[in-house]
Amino acid sequence: MKILIATSTVPFIRGGAEILADNLRDALAAAGHEAELVSIPFKHYPPDRIPDHMLACRLLDLTETCGVRIDRVIGLKFPAYLVPHPNKVIWLLHQHRTAYELWDHPAAGDLIHCATGPVVREAIRQADRELIPEAKAIYTLSRNVSGRLCRYSGIDSEPLYNPPSNASLFYKGSPGDYFFFPSRINSVKRQWLVIRAIAVCRERVRVRFAGEPDNPAQQAECVNTVRELKLSDRVEWLGVVSEEQKRDLYANSLAVIFPPVDEDYGYITLEAMLSSKPVITCADSGGPLEFVVDRETGLVADPSPESLAQAMDALWTDRRCAAAMGDAGCARYQDLNISWANVVEKLLC
Amino acid sequence: MAQSRGLRILIATVRVPFVNGGAELHAEGLRRALADAGHQAEIVAMPFKWYPPERILDQMLACRLLDLSETVGVPVDRLIALKFPAYLIPHPRKVIWVLHQHRQAYDLWRNPLDDLSSYAHGADVRTAIHRADTELIPQARHVFANSQNVARRLKTYCGVDAAPLYHPPPDAGRFYTRPAEDFLYFPSRINPLKRQELVLEALPQTRLPVRVCFSGPADGSVFERKCTELASQSGFANRVQSLGAVSDEEKRDLYARSLGVLFPPVDEDYGYVTLEAMLAHKPVITCRDSGGPLEFVAHRETGLVAEPKPEALAAAMDELWEDRERAAQWGAAGRQRYDDLRISWSYVTERLLQ
Repeated sequence: MKILIATSTVPFIRGGAEILADNLRDALAAAGHEAELVSIPFKHYPPDRIPDHMLACRLLDLTETCGVRIDRVIGLKFPAYLVPHPNKVIWLLHQHRTAYELWDHPAAGDLIHCATGPVVREAIRQADRELIPEAKAIYTLSRNVSGRLCRYSGIDSEPLYNPPSNASLFYKGSPGDYFFFPSRINSVKRQWLVIRAIAVCRERVRVRFAGEPDNPAQQAECVNTVRELKLSDRVEWLGVVSEEQKRDLYANSLAVIFPPVDEDYGYITLEAMLSSKPVITCADSGGPLEFVVDRETGLVADPSPESLAQAMDALWTDRRCAAAMGDAGCARYQDLNISWANVVEKLLC
Repeated sequence: MAQSRGLRILIATVRVPFVNGGAELHAEGLRRALADAGHQAEIVAMPFKWYPPERILDQMLACRLLDLSETVGVPVDRLIALKFPAYLIPHPRKVIWVLHQHRQAYDLWRNPLDDLSSYAHGADVRTAIHRADTELIPQARHVFANSQNVARRLKTYCGVDAAPLYHPPPDAGRFYTRPAEDFLYFPSRINPLKRQELVLEALPQTRLPVRVCFSGPADGSVFERKCTELASQSGFANRVQSLGAVSDEEKRDLYARSLGVLFPPVDEDYGYVTLEAMLAHKPVITCRDSGGPLEFVAHRETGLVAEPKPEALAAAMDELWEDRERAAQWGAAGRQRYDDLRISWSYVTERLLQ
């Protein structure tokens, strides 16, 4: 089949969605199809630019190329998934979140602060409600994303999980004396919450953070807090690490901490499971909760320093229990049939 | 002027899904050259479908609706736009390097190979394209063209001045030469505008047993079938070899071992084939109406310029076939000419960012 993957990109920014799109293209090619990406640039501010970009996507014609039919379009991101096609399948990574659950989020909310914000929010919601159902089938990244789509747009969909990049290269090492928290550093991933938790732990727990800050200010804020709380010998900032180093750090950690705010999906949970490590997450973390079974494959804490500290202390003191939870997490991953072969089969059926 | 991480530059172009041609290589070559010069450069490729004609207007509008002025609060320092309709994307610091306009609305209007004029609304769409080009191209800070040929069309049809700016073919440094063997080489996408058909019609009219080797993927299967039929009908199947898509290594090897290169397209904008032949020390046979190649091929010095007719092309093919020594001399002269022209990416980036 000739397949186009329609997605939106912000020039000069490469994140999880871009990697997923590339992996999907490679998986389709491996299954014997001709697959290409169509990446439409997207700028979400000022709000009036959003309807412009929605219209631009509606104006594109991906039905055929040089007289040859394009058999399928797979739409991933807003507003690219609005592109019309008679054989479109949507695999929704996320809707435009600040028009939905992040509308009044104190840090992330942006439309809410603009005069035309409410009108644009309504335009986005209406387009999603009316145009997403044009697709032949609607899959999402996770149960979390499906839940939002149903709650806000009244549209049913099926979650379709995908494996992290190079899933087969993760391995289990021996548990070391540190918790591992790999993630971009920003307020939504909540590195700051973990730092506050360390301060109230009974045990002298250590945490190694890896990943790039979205902007230098957020990193500086974290570093300052560590200094103020006198935790410098308990915290390590590794910055950007190679994929190999990252797998090493997973493999040899005691456990993985991943307490973001309402994550869509979160490869980190899956990578921890592939490395046979328990995951500490929070009750409001979204995606990770689809995988972490409290007290079986990790611990689900409340999003407070005290509750998180309790979970960290528990794993720090009972290493055998931590190891058993890690093994259970790995077994659970295998049971879930998370594979590109499965993704390709679903998206093309 | 250059900051520590260079400029943030977007290259705006157009991509026809599942077709990989010179334009894609061009955008990628430019991206790499800008990165080599210390800039951050990315390609924005808009999908494009030109039929039915109304769709062209939709896609022109889509391009006008995009906002590439900045990303996440950081300005995009320069937009370098290459193809219609992507060069219509607005930007306060835009430079247009026109690869070509929408040729069916210009030089290919009413050409038998064209389809725009055959539609009911074709004329209206053509007018809209002319207006958009005439009014919006001059919004750019600077306008360059891929070749003299493209600059001339832009001036003739839209009254817009553009400076020709040549660039090297991909992997220019990896071409080499070998002693000539018994075949003329025609590398190109199989497409009516490249006129493989004309070469097949010329073959039966040669005096000598000239052999031709074609390579390149087919843009549409209909024309490919026609070429295959023609090759077998004329009973010259043993003198024609069609390799389909070949790797870059194979292509360079075929150039190196050929006696000469055939490249007789219809009013080509630029044409890497000419330059690649020159890099491989081979003479080029082209046609009087081939456009771009004529900026490089000096008749009876670095190749032959024939009338676009089977008989004339056949005579040119015979001439190279017969006098191998002269063919080799013209090939060497072509290489010399390439070197004299100083076609390089570093010069291109310098001009585009001036």
